[in-house]
Amino acid sequence: MIRYLLRGFQAHLQSGRSLFVLSVLGVALGVASVSSILILNRSALGAFEGSVRAVSGDADLSVLPLTPTFSERLYPRVLASPDVERAWPLYRVDVALAGADEVYLEVLGLDLFVPRDVPWSEAPRDLGQALTTPGFVAVSPQFARAQELEVGDRFEVTSGSRRVSLYVGALVDFRSLTPLASTTLVVTDIAQAQDLFGRRGELHQIDLTLRSGVDASTAIRRLERRLGPSVRVRAPEQRTAEAAGLLGAFRLNLTALSLISLFVGGFLVYVSTRAVLVRRRGEIGLLRAIGATRAQTLVWILGEVSLLGTLGVGLGLSLGYLAAAANLERISGTLTNLYMLEAVETLDVPPRLLLLSGLLGIGGALAGAIGPALEMSRRNPRSLLAGFVAEERLGRVSGSVACLGLCMLCGVALWCYWVGETWRARGFVLGVALLLTLPLASPYIVRTATRRLSPRGFGLRYGMKALGLRLHSTAFAAAALAVAVSMLIGITLMIGSFRRTVDLWVGETLQADVYVTSESWRRARDAAALDERVIRGLAEQPEVIAVDRLRQFFAYTGERRISVAGVGLASPPGRVPYQLIEGEQGPALEAMQAGAGVLISEPLARKAGLEVGAALEIATPSGPRSFRVVGVAYDYTSELGGAVMSLETMTAAFGRGAISNLALYLQPGTDVQMVVSRMRRQWSDVPLRIRSNRDIRREVLEIFDQTFAVTRLLQVMSLLIAASGVMLTLIVLARERVSELALYRALGARRPQIFRVFLGKGLGIAAFGLGLGAIAGVLLALVLIYLVNRAYFGWTIAVYWPWRAILEQLATILLAALAASIYPALRASRTPATELSRESL
Amino acid sequence: MSPPAVLFEGVSKIYPRPDAEPLRALRDVSLRVPQGRSVAITGRSGSGKSTLLHLAAGIDEPSEGRVEILGADLGRLNDAERTLRRRDQIGLIFQFFHLLPHLSVGDNVALPAMIAGERDYGGRVLELLERVGLADRARERVDRLSGGEMQRVAICRALLRGPELLLADEPTGNLDDRNGQRVMELLLELAAEGQRTLIFVTHSEEMAAMADTRLAIHSGVLEPS
Ligand SMILES: Nc1ncnc2c1ncn2[C@@H]1O[C@H](COP(=O)(O)OP(=O)(O)O)[C@@H](O)[C@H]1O
Ligand SMILES: [Mg+2]
Repeated sequence: MIRYLLRGFQAHLQSGRSLFVLSVLGVALGVASVSSILILNRSALGAFEGSVRAVSGDADLSVLPLTPTFSERLYPRVLASPDVERAWPLYRVDVALAGADEVYLEVLGLDLFVPRDVPWSEAPRDLGQALTTPGFVAVSPQFARAQELEVGDRFEVTSGSRRVSLYVGALVDFRSLTPLASTTLVVTDIAQAQDLFGRRGELHQIDLTLRSGVDASTAIRRLERRLGPSVRVRAPEQRTAEAAGLLGAFRLNLTALSLISLFVGGFLVYVSTRAVLVRRRGEIGLLRAIGATRAQTLVWILGEVSLLGTLGVGLGLSLGYLAAAANLERISGTLTNLYMLEAVETLDVPPRLLLLSGLLGIGGALAGAIGPALEMSRRNPRSLLAGFVAEERLGRVSGSVACLGLCMLCGVALWCYWVGETWRARGFVLGVALLLTLPLASPYIVRTATRRLSPRGFGLRYGMKALGLRLHSTAFAAAALAVAVSMLIGITLMIGSFRRTVDLWVGETLQADVYVTSESWRRARDAAALDERVIRGLAEQPEVIAVDRLRQFFAYTGERRISVAGVGLASPPGRVPYQLIEGEQGPALEAMQAGAGVLISEPLARKAGLEVGAALEIATPSGPRSFRVVGVAYDYTSELGGAVMSLETMTAAFGRGAISNLALYLQPGTDVQMVVSRMRRQWSDVPLRIRSNRDIRREVLEIFDQTFAVTRLLQVMSLLIAASGVMLTLIVLARERVSELALYRALGARRPQIFRVFLGKGLGIAAFGLGLGAIAGVLLALVLIYLVNRAYFGWTIAVYWPWRAILEQLATILLAALAASIYPALRASRTPATELSRESL
Repeated sequence: MSPPAVLFEGVSKIYPRPDAEPLRALRDVSLRVPQGRSVAITGRSGSGKSTLLHLAAGIDEPSEGRVEILGADLGRLNDAERTLRRRDQIGLIFQFFHLLPHLSVGDNVALPAMIAGERDYGGRVLELLERVGLADRARERVDRLSGGEMQRVAICRALLRGPELLLADEPTGNLDDRNGQRVMELLLELAAEGQRTLIFVTHSEEMAAMADTRLAIHSGVLEPS
């Protein structure tokens, strides 16, 4: 049996090389899509996990603040706990490498006296030197190499408006701890870290080990009770799980999109398996006649397809890896900008992930092959040997199948309406139903449309008409293309709408003329303090008429991590940086500024189910405090959600803290760009980022585009698969209809004519794919915008039509389909008339 | 003086075989068929009859020798030019009819006109179908027809563009005697009406006797019988 299988496989290869190559390619591209996304998703978590492990790898538990920092006074209370064996405090701050473009380092302040079994505990051979040399740090050898630093060198980093000189005292390879550890970790003495970058008396984390025999979950409960309401205690695994939860929606959506490519790849396997089986039906008939059972035939066919799938998987995994590597930086940018997570430096490819992608790929291939395989194994041997006409039961049942598809779609749509917002995943169900309707409806549509077409002349139209005769290949190629097109159009429409919405929102809410922050702000948020002197200096510029101040950090409401902003609004009337969905603009802002409540962002309102008048409870150093929601504002900066309060309210609730951002309003009629340039010159020794309204707007859109760049990759992959599908189908037609083509040649059809007939077929498939796909794409976009996005991200997106992009894409697809038709058309046109001799049509 | 309809001069056709001697399907065949004549070719299966017709139709090329059709040396023409001659001057009829199952009877007949890019052929199609007694079935699908009817449709297709030369490869080979007889009579009648040259292959002595000239082929060698 195995020998037969291998031999059959070889025959398969020889009998249809291009068919084989294309179906392997289909599987490969599908697997590449899925695996690249899985790898990127995994690497994102891996980066976080790596940093947890590098910093707290030897800890059983970590005590973390629910606010940006907590008091050092908690440390002795941790040590005094009977559950705790050892504990050590940590001070963590993100800084920017001075003079570099967006290179960030995480400074980790440690108590060097606490003995730890981690590599850096021995790194400073002379502890005294580490404590007394100002700015003494240990850096990773990778970082040192990249920046051409050696032990003994100094380099400069910035934190807020401060510049700090650091001394490379030692090299520590954090990767020896865990391969995913960040190379931008910088270790120093805790007191140094506090002095250089923040304040004495504050901590970011306390790591601890438990006495043997103490149960972790009990210890967590006891410690949380002991330490009060401003901290949470977590095991390292829990922290990773929380990060996974944070990224859940992002990861889920990318994975779902990547699966579409695999779905399209399945069609290719369907078409090619069917073609190969139809061609080899005589062989199968013979096997059955000499005693092979149905089950054996089935196993034999599916075994062959699994081998094909395995090849596709192998190729796909390599492609997927490359694609992931190519997109690593973009994903990393998204994670750090939008989710405030660790940057991703390396790909994490655990074997189970490869296994999963592989199984998905082979599963997809088998799913594509099972239909034709069952059909073939069910036939009795006589009908196989008799050389039945493969057509076309599908033609007769196509109407009912289409009907079934539409009914299913309507049913699912109704059901979605009925379950309402109670079930988050309903958007996905509707999307899947929509995509499934395409292959169900396409045979009927192709058949009906081609029947109407009258074959005047022998060219494009003649070719198109003949599509209806080979529904099994043509309708499914059209469906595969339609699925790819709908994904393309759907996502383009969704992203286009989203981008326009964001652009308009930014235009509405960016009311100030100049925005000032520091280089490290993007990562460090409230640790990136702007010096009071700098603030005053900027505010005193002659053109400046008003200054908004912002302080921002992350805090918790229940288990939810949100951004909390304190604003001191001085904006001139009519230039309010918030656009409310709920609540009245004027009164709401007044209430907020008067300390009577907070504005919350739309994603928070949707996800936590809060409305105006509700109470939002946020953890503060003195325990949870309740804030009244006075308005819900559009906010597209983060799906995590956030709250805005007045600076005074924030200080009262969270204590004093640094201003990290300023918004300057200039006198009307001022040349903004000129003022910006002048300020930049004037403050060139301070690591500020001074940007005009226009600069920020551009930057927001850049970040937006970067975030969605990965979906482009998925779009391209699915388009490639669909184009392969068109090519595959036409090759199948060219091969199965050899005698028909030979007849045309015998009757005097010239080669270019046959070429045109085939181009017509390609064009026809493209037209059906585009037509169906465009309709489904618009519907899919609506599902994404109104169901998926609302449920998972919580944004209101207005629908805009990015006509240009859509038309460009449609044109590209059409060209791709035409290009894919050229090779089969050439092959068909080379059919010699002598092929007619023996066969009957 | 008009050129002969078909002229073979020392034509051989050799098929290379991977594991054996090359197969000589035709050996040094010379043949001259004046215009307007009917010629019957007989011979055993595998003797080279179809090969000869393919060469005459310009579907295949000779390994040696020269083939002229209506004064044109096929060896001097390229594939496109040969194709055009076939389209405009030759009508082909096959043993297995070779009708396209997805086209109607009328469209099958019209196919050569479509290929030639003609526009008004509807009248001619009906006329021809009328002539063979199938006018009322023009819109039917061909797979509903009997064998004899199919071959009559195929004859209409071959005649549609008024070719000077008709080549028929065992046109009655798939028909029973009675139907075969009728189809053969029809074919000869239609060829004679238009003063067309007809070369047909047959196994039947009776039918061969209906032609002006009879030739026999034995293992690739052509001889009068
Ligand atoms: N394309 C081909 N390749 C190899 N051999 C061929 C080919 N076509 C025909 N033959 C061989 O040439 C010989 C003559 O064939 P053919 O002209 O079809 O015979 P007939 O029509 O008299 O039965 C046969 O032996 C046949 O096997
Ligand atoms: Mg023959």
